[in-house]
Amino acid sequence: MLKAAQRRWQDWWKARHPARDAQVLTQRNLYIVPTKVGAAFVLTQLLLLVASINDQLSLGYALTFLLCGAGLASMHTTHGNLRGLTLSLLSPPAGHADADQALTVRLHNPGRARFGIGLRLADATSDSLAWVDVPAQGLAELTLHWRAPGRGLHELPVLRVETRYPLGLFVAWSYWRPESRQWVYPAVEAPCPPLPAGKAVGHEAQPVAVRAGGGDELHGVRPWREGDGLRHVLWNKAAQQPDPNAPLWVREWSAPPQGQDCWLDADDTLGLPDEQRWQRLTAWVLAADQRGTDWGLRLPGQALELGQGAQQRRTALERLALVGQAP
Amino acid sequence: MSPTLTREQRDTGFLIGVVALAIGPHLWRVPLWAAGLALGLLAWRGWLAWRLRPLPARWVLLLIAVAAAVGAKMSHGALLGRSSGLTLVCLLLALKLLEMHARRDAFVVFFLGFFLVLTQFLYSQSLWVALWTLASVWGLLTALVLAQMPLGQPSLKAAGREAARTTAFGLPLMVLLFLLFPRIGPLWGVPGQSGSTGLSEEMSFGDVSTLALDERVALRLRAVDGELPPPGQLYLRGPVLTEFDGQAWKPAAAVLVPPDALVLSGGVLRYELMLEPLRMTVLPVLEHSPGQPGETWALDGVTLRRTAELTWIAPRPLGETLRVQAVAVPPSGVQRGPLAEHLSLRAARALPPGLNPRLRAWARDLRAQVGSDPDFVRAVVAHIRQAPFTYTLNPGVYGEFSPHGIDEFWFDRRLGFCEHYASAFVVALRAAGIPARIVTGYQGRDAELQEGWAVVRNSNAHAWAEYWLPGTGWQRADPTAAVAPERVERGLALSTPVGVFRGAFDAVDPTLWAGLRHLAERMDLRWQEWVLNYKREQQFKLLDKLGFDSPDWSSLGQLAAVTIAVLAVGSLAWQQWHARRRDPWPSRLARVHAQLQARGWPVAPHQAPLRWAHTVRANGGPEPVAQALLALEAWRYGPDAQPTRGWQQTWQEAQRWRQWWRGLRLALRA
Repeated sequence: MLKAAQRRWQDWWKARHPARDAQVLTQRNLYIVPTKVGAAFVLTQLLLLVASINDQLSLGYALTFLLCGAGLASMHTTHGNLRGLTLSLLSPPAGHADADQALTVRLHNPGRARFGIGLRLADATSDSLAWVDVPAQGLAELTLHWRAPGRGLHELPVLRVETRYPLGLFVAWSYWRPESRQWVYPAVEAPCPPLPAGKAVGHEAQPVAVRAGGGDELHGVRPWREGDGLRHVLWNKAAQQPDPNAPLWVREWSAPPQGQDCWLDADDTLGLPDEQRWQRLTAWVLAADQRGTDWGLRLPGQALELGQGAQQRRTALERLALVGQAP
Repeated sequence: MSPTLTREQRDTGFLIGVVALAIGPHLWRVPLWAAGLALGLLAWRGWLAWRLRPLPARWVLLLIAVAAAVGAKMSHGALLGRSSGLTLVCLLLALKLLEMHARRDAFVVFFLGFFLVLTQFLYSQSLWVALWTLASVWGLLTALVLAQMPLGQPSLKAAGREAARTTAFGLPLMVLLFLLFPRIGPLWGVPGQSGSTGLSEEMSFGDVSTLALDERVALRLRAVDGELPPPGQLYLRGPVLTEFDGQAWKPAAAVLVPPDALVLSGGVLRYELMLEPLRMTVLPVLEHSPGQPGETWALDGVTLRRTAELTWIAPRPLGETLRVQAVAVPPSGVQRGPLAEHLSLRAARALPPGLNPRLRAWARDLRAQVGSDPDFVRAVVAHIRQAPFTYTLNPGVYGEFSPHGIDEFWFDRRLGFCEHYASAFVVALRAAGIPARIVTGYQGRDAELQEGWAVVRNSNAHAWAEYWLPGTGWQRADPTAAVAPERVERGLALSTPVGVFRGAFDAVDPTLWAGLRHLAERMDLRWQEWVLNYKREQQFKLLDKLGFDSPDWSSLGQLAAVTIAVLAVGSLAWQQWHARRRDPWPSRLARVHAQLQARGWPVAPHQAPLRWAHTVRANGGPEPVAQALLALEAWRYGPDAQPTRGWQQTWQEAQRWRQWWRGLRLALRA
């Protein structure tokens, strides 16, 4: 019974707030109630009114009603501070599951300047508002961060936009369900384990990696990263730097590519817990993509053919994000 | 604002300024230490903000608050009470600024600030106070708006404008509420403690009359039906003083009601009286008000009772402004009893034993010389006129070296004003066995009317005498008229010494001061009439004008309900109008699309009229339809297309659309 009522409520609510990537705030989706401060304001006015009645102060009545009028008018102006505003979502960038996902909202303002507009995730605490002012006839952008529950293609969280401007006596708010979905790839295993040997070359092939030192050919120099040996640091260059905090540089050697067609196979990660398998594969995909040679990905029941480039990487990461999940 | 100030510094500085503005007028009313402490706290807060120092620890503030409470208790005797409350609120407000960590803490400051503003009305409700109120409230609301702007460094001007905008939106509601909110009497307690001091309830012989120098308006009169008496005959009866102890005159403790206390025979004057808050318990009214002793007179929020001495007395000091419809009968049409000897006359013959022996002997001698009581009264007045008496507001102090102050006045110095003459006159009559008493009140008025209102000032305060004769009852006698006829005959206010400030004005133009004062008083009159005296009676009058027969509370309620309904419907309509689609073009194009689709042409709603025209042609549609669509395309998107501005262009566009639409329908039919 309760469940049914809850579901009906949810349905009604969703119908009222259809998922959209651009939401115009209108009478239909804006709500407004007095705040605690508003209640205190009413109490103050009652006291002022009683004082005016008891002392028969005409000017006291005038003051009380002036404040009353201003307070009620602020209901209108608070509502007006959101009404007409358009929220639109910049297409959300994909991220990895171990980091916060960025969500950039653009606020278009067709009217007069608006101040003190706060945005937050609907289920976050009420003091976690991100504030933004929107200039007249202009737009403002605001980036929120949220933590996805795991890898996958996620619905974006419901956002709450609210304002108490100008007097703080009322709070007007609206909910917004963005329509877009955000890709969340598995976390990247760090440090990156060595890439598996290319299948075509056989099991005896050495792991291939681009790393500081240990190669035959000088590839170039790059900033120092954790794990680089002290022997490979360009100390001469460091000594010439006037700034002691400047990054260190290391020589980079590259091993000659051993197999042109590197297959990243889920079977190579057997023995690990599931999630860690996908994390390792993700790290491999990123490393393989760096190499500039063709690579392919084999997942249980599916395979991504050999290829390279941004498209290849994205497809691989998306498959990794969804692998093992119910469609 | 200097750009070097941070947001926090600037906002704090602004709030300190607003609080100082709200506290300012009260600094004179709280004890000196409290005023100093409040200013010190504000200065401390300002210094901390300026130097970006941290706020003091909470225990320090708690200590100061406790000290303030102890101080208030010691200064005022009690913690609960108006004056100690005012002291505490002022100090708390200043302290709260030192305890404000977040901008949201400011709310407490705002609400205390609104209270302080209201408290000011207990002391004065003049036009200037109203202007100060507006400034204070605006400042407080601006600070409130600033607290809702969490980002960057918004300009004070923007916040102030927003506060003004919101308040302006609320103004119609304020006016409506002010006009329609039912005015009821005090829920408990007594109003007042406010207002300037009017006539006091007793009169000390030889007190220097401070009232005489006070040119503020005490009350205003306007004839409703009939004519006001000339200034010389305009007597407003206030407290009647019968008991004399040699120094001070006091009202009689208990007076028996005499028979024939008031016998009326003359015509009636209807008039309106607008009383400033004088804190008198006796309502000064034109002589003589009809009303037998013991009758009551219900005014707004207070019920007056008629005394045996024919005054209207209130159960409490009248601390509010009052507007009263009253009736007066001229003294010629009134006889005030008892007409024969009565016990109530005994108090009016009593004299303090052993005092003023010279005057008593003089009076007894004179009474023996003249034949009758009326002749005696005439002889005393004649004596005042003939002996070298001088009328002056600075007579010096009598009774300093002997208890016989009136003897000193009557025989030695002969300098004095109305109080002296009335006192001596009454003592002389009593010494001769004639019942007599002193009446205080107001006499005379400004020569010119102010918009129909006769102005009576505090400096018109006057004291005169009444004596009793068998057969005729009580009579008025004004001994001051004998020595200073111009004071009484022309009803001029007592002249005041010229101050330095006013002297400077007079040096420029002698009429300038009077002109300015006149202007200010006229504005004050309007203010009184329209705002301060807007009470139940005026509310009902307004209803009457709006067409309600015999208005009462229920018609007030009806009017309020109708107004609320109209407002609600209006705002709903406004919202609908606001929410409607502003641009008519999408619906127009949708209509065209529907027409084309009804003919079976494969047109899509998102296509432009040009594409529709091509589709129509490709499907063998009539050429005029395609032409019309091309014309529409040119109209909307061609090089001559103009955005529509203003209602005139909108109207023209609608005309043109109707024409085009007819053309399309014709082409489709063909």
